[in-house]
Amino acid sequence: MNFLFDSEEVPIQAGDTVASALYRSGRRIFSRSFKYHRPRGLLCCSGKCPNCLVNVDGSPSVRSCVTPALDGMRVRHQNAWPSLENDALSIGQHFDFLMPAGWYYKVFTKPATWHRVEPHIRKAAGLGELFENPQGIPEYEHAWMHAETAVIGGGPAGIQSALDAAERGEQVVLIDDQTELGGHLRYRKQRGADPRERIDALAARANVTLLQRASCFGIYEGNLLGVLLGHPHAGAAERLIHLRAQRIIVATGAYETPLLFDNNDVVGVMLSSAVQRLIHLHSIVPGRRAVIVAHGSEGDEVGADLKQAGVEVVEILAPSEIIAVRGSGEVKGVKSRRGDFACDLVIVCGPRVPDAGLLSQAGAKLQWSDVPGAFVPVGLPLNVSAVGDVTGETPVAAAQHFPDSKRAFVCICVDATSRDLKQGIADGFEEIETLKRYTTATMGPCQGRMCQLNAIQVCSRLTSRSMDETGTTTSRPPNPGVTLGALAGAKHHPIRRTPMHHAHAELGAVWLDMGEWKRPRYYQVAGAGGEAESVAAEYRAVRERAGLIDVGTLGKLIVRGKDAARLLDKVYTSRFSDLRQGRVRYAVMCDDTGVILDDGTVSRLADDRFFVTTTTGNLDFVHQWFDWWLVASGWDVSVTNVTGGLASVNLAGPKARDVLRKLTDLDLDPKAFPYMACREAQTFGVPAILMRIGFVGETGWEIHYPAEHGEEVWNAILVAGAEFGILPFGVEAQRLLRLEKRHVIVGVDTDALTNPFEADMAWVVKLDKEDFIGKAALARAASGGGVREKLVGFVMEGGVPEDGAPVVIGGIPVGRVTSSRYSPHRKAGIGLAFVPPELAAEGAPVRVRVRGQLRTAIVTMQPFYDAEGARLR
Amino acid sequence: MMQLFRQERMWNKRELKSSYDVVIVGAGAHGLAAAYYLGKSHGIKKVALLEKNWLGYGASGRNTAILRSNYRTPEGIPFYDASLKLYENLSSELDWNLMFSRRGHLTLAHNDSGVTGLRVRAENNQVMGVDSRMVARAEIRHLAPTLNVSASARFPIQAGLYHPPGGIIRHDAVVWAFARACDRMGIEIHTYTEVTGMHVEGGKVRAVTTSRGEIACGAVLNATAGWATTISNMAGVPLQIVTHPLQACVTEPLKPFLDPVIVSATLHVYLSQTDKGELVIGAEIDPYQSYCMKGTLPTLEQMATYTLELFPQLHGVKVLRQWAGICDMTPDFAPIMGASEEVSNFYMDVGWGTYGFKASPISGKTLAETIATGKPPKLIEPFSPSRFREGRLVGE
Ligand SMILES: Cc1cc2nc3c(=O)[nH]c(=O)nc-3n(C[C@H](O)[C@H](O)[C@H](O)COP(=O)(O)OP(=O)(O)OC[C@H]3O[C@@H](n4cnc5c(N)ncnc54)[C@H](O)[C@@H]3O)c2cc1C
Ligand code: FES
Repeated sequence: MNFLFDSEEVPIQAGDTVASALYRSGRRIFSRSFKYHRPRGLLCCSGKCPNCLVNVDGSPSVRSCVTPALDGMRVRHQNAWPSLENDALSIGQHFDFLMPAGWYYKVFTKPATWHRVEPHIRKAAGLGELFENPQGIPEYEHAWMHAETAVIGGGPAGIQSALDAAERGEQVVLIDDQTELGGHLRYRKQRGADPRERIDALAARANVTLLQRASCFGIYEGNLLGVLLGHPHAGAAERLIHLRAQRIIVATGAYETPLLFDNNDVVGVMLSSAVQRLIHLHSIVPGRRAVIVAHGSEGDEVGADLKQAGVEVVEILAPSEIIAVRGSGEVKGVKSRRGDFACDLVIVCGPRVPDAGLLSQAGAKLQWSDVPGAFVPVGLPLNVSAVGDVTGETPVAAAQHFPDSKRAFVCICVDATSRDLKQGIADGFEEIETLKRYTTATMGPCQGRMCQLNAIQVCSRLTSRSMDETGTTTSRPPNPGVTLGALAGAKHHPIRRTPMHHAHAELGAVWLDMGEWKRPRYYQVAGAGGEAESVAAEYRAVRERAGLIDVGTLGKLIVRGKDAARLLDKVYTSRFSDLRQGRVRYAVMCDDTGVILDDGTVSRLADDRFFVTTTTGNLDFVHQWFDWWLVASGWDVSVTNVTGGLASVNLAGPKARDVLRKLTDLDLDPKAFPYMACREAQTFGVPAILMRIGFVGETGWEIHYPAEHGEEVWNAILVAGAEFGILPFGVEAQRLLRLEKRHVIVGVDTDALTNPFEADMAWVVKLDKEDFIGKAALARAASGGGVREKLVGFVMEGGVPEDGAPVVIGGIPVGRVTSSRYSPHRKAGIGLAFVPPELAAEGAPVRVRVRGQLRTAIVTMQPFYDAEGARLR
Repeated sequence: MMQLFRQERMWNKRELKSSYDVVIVGAGAHGLAAAYYLGKSHGIKKVALLEKNWLGYGASGRNTAILRSNYRTPEGIPFYDASLKLYENLSSELDWNLMFSRRGHLTLAHNDSGVTGLRVRAENNQVMGVDSRMVARAEIRHLAPTLNVSASARFPIQAGLYHPPGGIIRHDAVVWAFARACDRMGIEIHTYTEVTGMHVEGGKVRAVTTSRGEIACGAVLNATAGWATTISNMAGVPLQIVTHPLQACVTEPLKPFLDPVIVSATLHVYLSQTDKGELVIGAEIDPYQSYCMKGTLPTLEQMATYTLELFPQLHGVKVLRQWAGICDMTPDFAPIMGASEEVSNFYMDVGWGTYGFKASPISGKTLAETIATGKPPKLIEPFSPSRFREGRLVGE
């Protein structure tokens, strides 16, 4: 088993992470720093610092120390050129005196200079690169879970809490980000008894779910935990679990952070817990000669471990004694007040910081406590508790030492030193939140874990304020970071298809996206020309013979109950209580400011039963809107969404009646089945609702029938119509046909502020109705108040503006074309446009910008086709 | 280069006085800009900025810092264009690099109505002299080679609106630089000073009460964005504003990957890459009203979903932080600027919604003029508080 690091084969042993395998193979430099490109090596070995970031299988900035090494992985170094050992950009560190905190704000104040310099800065910045993964984009999953008790952290405290809760009979989920439970006891053997037995007891309980290699990255409102599980199974890279818990027990422990001294970032300077992990979890001999930096006896534990592993412990120094680390690439030795020592490892026993970020997200305050020397969580919200080291009850290392050094790195992610912080404070950035933004300390890939405490301490000392007055920065999820892939989950944009989708495809449909729906834009007939020819042929079929269009994407609702008419009277502007059974009426819905929300038709099928159609995009909204107004009404109404259950077509054209007659026994004579009537009847042996309406301006029927007969009836109509020259037509022909008829499409010819008076639909507003939504605003609009513009028709000879072209007066866009097409009927450009109210007069000339040129169009308030509506009757 | 070694504080702590000519509530970019122009253009320097938290705590420290002027209406276009022109020169004027990065602004349409919406803007922009045009897929591919322009995408990109002068700026730098310039003129910035009430008498605000005592004032400017209604209520001035959270997130830094700012109105997501290499991703506003500034998981997931729709290759890139700010939304997506109708010395610079950062220089300049001369300049007349009563909505 091995993986490839750049071009080098790296052997893998059982239990290896990418980093442990690399370290064993002799690699010490793992990355280059952000700003100065200084070499960096393993620091924490626990996924909490920025030092071991590599590219794994194309994904940038992956923490090699917590990524299991897998056979055949492709690992690459990042942010160094040509190699980690020799990085051209590392010369920047010799000019660091030119780049103190905020230098770019102060130096490049001339826009011209900045524009020249910026591209170079940009090129040098950034860490990771994207590479294509030969296996393609991996799968990511989402899952949902519930727990009575969620325990975060599988160390001794978490294990015990989970056991206790399990014994109380609660459903428990334990989340731990390591490969094995046990927390720090796995590598700090002296700290407590082997937890093996308790772990086995836990694993044996049926009411306990263990989520391992899973990190909780955030606590959100309502005790929602975001949990990221790595490699849930061979088929998926990650699974994001939404875990809703009644109680949360945070047992995340404490993590060690660096000490400040000159060159504290040199490769070979390592936290004591990191070296313990290398020794105990990976059986690695980390080096030959180590100097330990620790307070009092704190170095003894790691000292013993090192000796046992065969590393010579040269000296144990107090933080105040160390002056600097020697060595530019890797550690060569230590300069101290007690003399110089040669070594290849500097082991740091740094302050242990309670890992309380999640608690703070949940609402706890972090309060400084001198005794442990840490910010400890207080004021925990209901149902959230903390156990173990995260509470700050165990003392952590004593106070930091603060050298005023230009190479004592506080924030290793962005190379901010204690001198940078000092500079920032001198510049006036005394608040920790502004200091952070100015120096960018704590804002790098480690998300503040390695540096927050040190930054606050530096700030507190330099501003002579207490730690509490200085305060902490806000903890924000996701921490640890989560991939966009995991957040997005499985690619999940459903495609909605009507029941006749495949029939359209066979007919040569060219598709149009409409929200989630696919609709035929037009039908590409084999051997025929392009879109223009197809649309022209479809148009002619409807105007001269018959056409059939799938309108299945329309929203369809059944509104029934004793008070159904009352509801419709309330939410629509026109009146429906007086609509006779068997009749259809156009319906417009407005909000309380009079703005048009939707339009459709309402058919009265029975006294207490209405069939309502909505626009394609607004169905869900309209349904909710009905329910919203019903909630407290006490009315007897139920609203059912039947959209998916019905197939819908519109059969239109002078021969439509002849075609339909072949499929139904219904009397289709205009007297028996007049315009704006509706019937329920068998059509081609299938129960259907037939409505005589005419969106495209010809005799026609909208037919709704059970979706399972979708293709059957569609095909039957086409077969029946063949002798009359029927053609299926798409959305593009429909748009042209309806435009000639001057029918408005809500959302196309209206916008987020249009009211019916502006849309020239005053006739749909029945102000003499008792009350309805928008009445007050519409009453005002009726008398001219709040009418900003008016929708008019226009005819343009010798040109067709594009949809969206402006109407211009005196160099100012005062209106716009909402829809425009060449009209075969008028042999001219026609369209709808918003113009100022004073121009909304028959015959008024307006200037429209057509591809850069102003051209004249003539306003008309009449339909362009069949103004009397004779063809509809 | 010598600027590097000069030692000077950006701003100083000063004693809170008992009276000022102008009290500005809220030290975000807007309040600071108004103070700056009051001092610079009108010599009014007895001005106090009262800020309940640290400098930049509000939306000015949380936004995605996109600047552009390719708006839709004849009222909005010249206004935002004037702001962009001020921004161009602001780094030199304030002697502080605001890192205005003109990387171009590209809005995408994925369906026919989206295309029409963009065309309205392109055309109106051109009529009014703003550099903005429609671009087809081939040119989009050229402007943003990493973008998924494939016709087989779930929501294929149909066309774009390209606005070369647009770009991003370092939002904190704007706040700091204005603050420094104010401080230099003797204008006082009082952080951790919360306004808690107003003493209104005879149609005028006589004094504001704060967490640090009462302050008499000649005029008050409400520049509190998301908190605008809370301050107006204190003065008894009703506002047509509701507050919604708006969320954003940022990824780990990547090597240069994307030049222009990308916005997709259909997919409700927008993103840009900063000079540091991070991708900053913004969402649409949360659908409910709230003053809460905490991110939520569903919105983060939505941002990720739509980002991957545009850039599938980013799947392995980690989001490091998410956050929310609050936005003062008006019914017509246009700001409210000018003296209130009810209380004559209570001025408003609010209603900045999701788009106000780009306007801070021009709104500061025009409001300073309004306060100093008692008359709003023509540029902001359409945005007067009376427009709702008069039914003159702007329709952005
Ligand atoms: C996530 C997000 C992304 C955005 N993206 C963009 C963008 O890309 N481009 C763009 O142009 N705009 C954007 N915006 C909008 C823009 O940020 C705001 O419109 C703009 O910053 C408002 O500035 P302001 O100075 O008016 O308000 P703020 O910066 O919010 O300042 C108001 C200040 O008032 C203070 N305050 C409140 N109440 C009191 C009180 N009682 N006493 C004293 N002080 C008080 C607050 O603490 C706050 O600091 C975005 C907003 C958000 C939230
Ligand atoms: S060494 Fe891997 S994250 Fe610190």
